[in-house]
Amino acid sequence: MEKRLDWLAARLKDGNRAAATELVGIYYQQIYLFMRRLGHSRQVSEDLTQESFLQAWRHIGQLRSGKALNSWLYRIATNTSKLYWRRHKADKQVDMEIFDVPDTDESEGDKIGSLEQLGQLRNIVAKLPIKFRQAVVLHYMQHLTITEAAEALGIRKGTFKSRLNRALKALRRQFTIRKE
Amino acid sequence: MKEEKLEKLLNELAEKTTEIVRPGLAEEIKDNIPRPLCHHRRGMDTISIIIDLRINKLAAAAAIIITMILLANLLDGRAPTGEGIYQDGKMLVKYFLGDTAEKNIVAVRSRYERLLQKGEDVVYYSDSIDAQDSDAVLMHWKLSDGKYNVIFADFREKVVTAEQLIQLQAQMLQKKTEK
Repeated sequence: MEKRLDWLAARLKDGNRAAATELVGIYYQQIYLFMRRLGHSRQVSEDLTQESFLQAWRHIGQLRSGKALNSWLYRIATNTSKLYWRRHKADKQVDMEIFDVPDTDESEGDKIGSLEQLGQLRNIVAKLPIKFRQAVVLHYMQHLTITEAAEALGIRKGTFKSRLNRALKALRRQFTIRKE
Repeated sequence: MKEEKLEKLLNELAEKTTEIVRPGLAEEIKDNIPRPLCHHRRGMDTISIIIDLRINKLAAAAAIIITMILLANLLDGRAPTGEGIYQDGKMLVKYFLGDTAEKNIVAVRSRYERLLQKGEDVVYYSDSIDAQDSDAVLMHWKLSDGKYNVIFADFREKVVTAEQLIQLQAQMLQKKTEK
């Protein structure tokens, strides 16, 4: 996979259009979901996904290697989202629906309890300050490593770790309060 | 709640908030790939600078106007370090921060400078007049028909003949000597 990404990054830097098409195929769903998880509506998420790729084409020279592909694209997407929120301060966040994925091991009662918990967690994540929310979404929901997520936010690894810890603390605190 | 449990829940939340993306989106993005896909030469990469500056509206207005004057002066060929810009800036700051009388003085002074720049035959008396004397002439300039436009100390404006102007000036001088 790493070799494939290196090859892709090298072709992108050479201005290869087929490589760009491949990149869209790999990442467009991820970037769309990232936007949705940051609280943008469906329509806005689509627009921001398109905008992120347009920015990516413009800044293709900043791509270093295949290893950095993930963080490079997410950094562009994060900045695109940030810029949107800055320009549309009045826009409200839109929560995503939670889908009930069938799980045979869970009883009906457990399932309802778990869905309620997830609903609560989703609402708490949505209310986190934007910096904390970005950290949680990047690491736990988009599954970026600590290094990749830190690079995507343009901060040091240590800073990211402490931000993530503070976000988790805030989540835990809110979750406990709501349960009580 | 334990950290592991919370992390597990967050992962689960990610799985259960997956959404189907509109089928045409990928094609639309692909259609917008530039042809050719340009890449920047080494050392030519662009950067985005976003500045989020929060200042009050009055200061922002003053900054914008001063910048515009600065640009206008530069385009007009006046030296950027010239006295004009400094004076204009000072005048604007005074205008925004001063009371009504000061604002009027600033407005008259600004009008004087504009007329002067146009090459009009204009006289501005500035501090030499008695501000309490409403008939004192603060500024006058010659009109094309030979008459004079006069601005008094109370900021009234009137068109007078050359004789009337001499009379007004004589009155001013007399009042000054009496004091």
